This record gives sequence, structure tokens and C-alpha cells, in this order.
Amino acid sequence: MINKYRPHVLVLPEDDANRQLANGFLLDLDYSALSRIQVLPEVGGWMAVLDTFLTDHVAEMDRFPERNLVLLIDFDGEEGRLNYAQSRIPGRLRDRVFILGAWTDPEALKRAGLGSSESIGRAIAKGCRDETDTTWEHDLLRHNTNEINRLRRHVRPILFQHF
Amino acid sequence: MRFEIEVALNASVYEYVIAFEFPEGFKELRVLEEKFAVNGKPVYTREHAQVRLVQREGARSLEDLAKSPSFRIDWHMVALPIVQEQSRADPLFLFKQWLAGMLILRPIPRLILGDSNQETLQPNPLVTDFGAWFSGLLAYAPAAYSKIDAYLKQLMPDLKDIKNPAIGKDSRSLVVQFSVDHGSPRTVESLSVPFEDLSDGEKCFMICALVVAANDAYGPLVCFWDEPDNYLALAEVGHFVLAVRKAFQPGGQFIATSHNPEAIRRFSDENTLLLYRKSHLEPTTARKLEELQVKGDLVGALIRGDLEP
Repeated sequence: MINKYRPHVLVLPEDDANRQLANGFLLDLDYSALSRIQVLPEVGGWMAVLDTFLTDHVAEMDRFPERNLVLLIDFDGEEGRLNYAQSRIPGRLRDRVFILGAWTDPEALKRAGLGSSESIGRAIAKGCRDETDTTWEHDLLRHNTNEINRLRRHVRPILFQHF
Repeated sequence: MRFEIEVALNASVYEYVIAFEFPEGFKELRVLEEKFAVNGKPVYTREHAQVRLVQREGARSLEDLAKSPSFRIDWHMVALPIVQEQSRADPLFLFKQWLAGMLILRPIPRLILGDSNQETLQPNPLVTDFGAWFSGLLAYAPAAYSKIDAYLKQLMPDLKDIKNPAIGKDSRSLVVQFSVDHGSPRTVESLSVPFEDLSDGEKCFMICALVVAANDAYGPLVCFWDEPDNYLALAEVGHFVLAVRKAFQPGGQFIATSHNPEAIRRFSDENTLLLYRKSHLEPTTARKLEELQVKGDLVGALIRGDLEP
């Protein structure tokens, strides 16, 4: 169980495919880091992710300042989606909320030969741990660069450093 | 009804097959066929009551053949435990050892008291011999305690240690110690709890710690755990499942059954099987989730009962 008074990360996935990416990510973490990250139930659609964030998580993030939230959404090839989603994050929480996802959807990552959802998640975690960009530089993930750089500054120490 | 198991051990593939039939007029199942093979070469085969030992490599003389005759056994009995292995290097011995090492768990925590008067590496399915397993594991591999300790302290940061003091000539009883350091002025509060007084969920954490340590100490193991999420708080289920999955990544196999949405979510399409039975008169079928091509929310589809293999 996560300790909400210490730095931790919640992941809010849009759908089953994104949840499975997150499973793979968690399987690559050190055992001790598992108690600092929790994947929440998928909510069914990127708009639902934003709505759930606003209704369920804003107040809780205000209560628990050590909480970070990763919103895992599909971009469906829409260039304006990231800006729109970011615009709905209250300014006081922007440093602690991260929006990531496949450029179209996670199934496209599998079709592109990156492996199963869990394998892709593992590769992403490995990239975060080793600070390599191999997976993130893929055409379907490259648009996440700015968010990844923010994640490296804020979240990487929570998950990849020994407490 | 047919069971098949195939396992790779020491670069050899061991295959065991058994099929039962229920002929009209019979009151119980009888064995229809049975086979044990290594790398595709049969060690013995069986049809109904007739068991035939197949000549093994190195057994070339007529005398060797005479030692490996065919024989008949009760057709209600399984031949595997009856066929005698010839040495500790015999594939039959290795396979039986591996089978015996499987962890098949469906624990009932309230029955687990933590007492023991012997040691074992093979706990019973209800894990009522937890104390004996704990003793056996640490006698076999004392370093396993550090693995148990590390696992449990992630879940219970106030855990101090687990002691297994003698309470009689040949008996021991587990005691779990917790402590909290209140800092300055330096005061440490401690509490000793008999194992039997732990909560059901805490006992499941203890079992999980031993599963993880056992796979490390004398694995790789196959662990089949029936509903490991029973007795756990919702916030603990995901961490629990992922921790076991991680522990088995380097080797071994962990198989869990579950009805718990949070446990189901911690697996993915490629490693989830859907078990389904239309009626008590038909066999349970198993299908890979990825073959079912579930659209949308998996847990929602399970709740609606929409998934049929």
C-alpha cells in the first residue's frame, strides 16, 4: 500500500490497453518502488480521464502534496489534445500532473512491432531508469518528449532511487 | 477428461499425459491412457491397465529389457507414482521431484497457527503447516530470512523480526515482533504478536513472503495459488500480485485464480486465461484472453458476463 504522506505516483489509465502498458512499467521497477506507485482502474476514454481527474483527484492532490499523477491517454492523432488536456489542469497542480500516451493508441505500438503491452511498458521503464530514449523516440511516442523531461525531474527520483 | 503437462527442466522437455474415461455402468473414472516422455521419447506408456516401460538409453541388453517389462495395474490407479525410478538422475525421479515441489496453495488463514514440530519444504495446500515450512526453508537456506524480511518490511514498515522459539522438546511457535521508534527523546515501543493472532491478510503476506523466498532458495517453482487476493484490503491487492509476478520473472511460474477486479487488472491479455463452464456436466474450458479480443473494459465485460470462450 502506498504511503500517501511520502512521495508517490498514481497512474490513471484511459483504457485496458493503457493499463497493460502500466503493468509492464511496474514489473520493471525495483520491488521497493512498487509501494510508491499505484495504477488506478481504467476510466474509459481520454475525456473520462480528464473528468475523473477533476472530480476525484484535484481535491485529494491538494490534501496530499506528495502525490503525483500520470494521466495515460490516447492522442488519437490529434495535435491539440495535449494542450487542451493541460489547460484543464489547475495551475497549482501542473507541476505534479503528467499527461502521456501513444500518438494514436497502444494497439498501434503493438502493430509497430514493439511487442506486447507489458513488454512496451517494461521498455519504457527501462528507458526511464537508464535515462535512455530508445523507446520514447519511436514515432508513436516522440510527442511525449516535454512531458518525459518533466517526469525525469519530478518522478524519476521517486521510482528509481532507493529510499 | 485429459490432463497434459509439459515442463522444461535442465534443457530437457518432460511431458506427462493422463486421460480418464467414465464408461457406462462404472461408478468411478478409470485411466484410459497415460504417458511420460522426455524430449519426445516415451519412458512409459499405458493403455487402460497395461503399462509398458519403454527401453531407455543405455539399456541395450536382453537382461535390461527383462528388467523393464510391461505389467498390469488397477485401472483406477495412476501409474506415475508406482513406476520405480532407477536413480536420482532418472528422468522419472527428476520429474516427480519437480511435481512434488509445486506449491499448490489455497490457504485458510484462521487455521494457520504458526506452530510446528517438524520441517518441510512442501507446505500443504491449506498452509496449516506454515510454521514447519518456515522452519524448513530457513534450515535449508538461512539467507532466505533476509528475503522474507525485505518483502514484509515493504508491507509492514513496523515489522521488527520473526522469531521461532522452542516451546517444547520438539515444538516451535512463531512470534512476530513489531516496533516503532518515536525518535527524540529516543523511545522504542515494541509489541510481540503470536503468529496465530495476526490478521488474515497479514498471514497471507507471510505466505507470500515464503513463496517469494522459496522460489529464490529452492526454485524455480510452479506456484498455483487459488484466489491469493482473498483477505486483502483493496489497496494491497495490486501490490501483492505485482510483487509475486516480479519474484517469478527470473524463473518459475506463478498461476493465480481470481474473481477480484484489482487482481485481474494486474495481469494483461497475454498472461490471462478465462475459465468457463457451461454446466456441472461439462468440462471447464480455458481460453487465452488475447484470443477473445475483448473490446473495451475487461472488468466491465466480466461483470456483465459477456465473455464466453
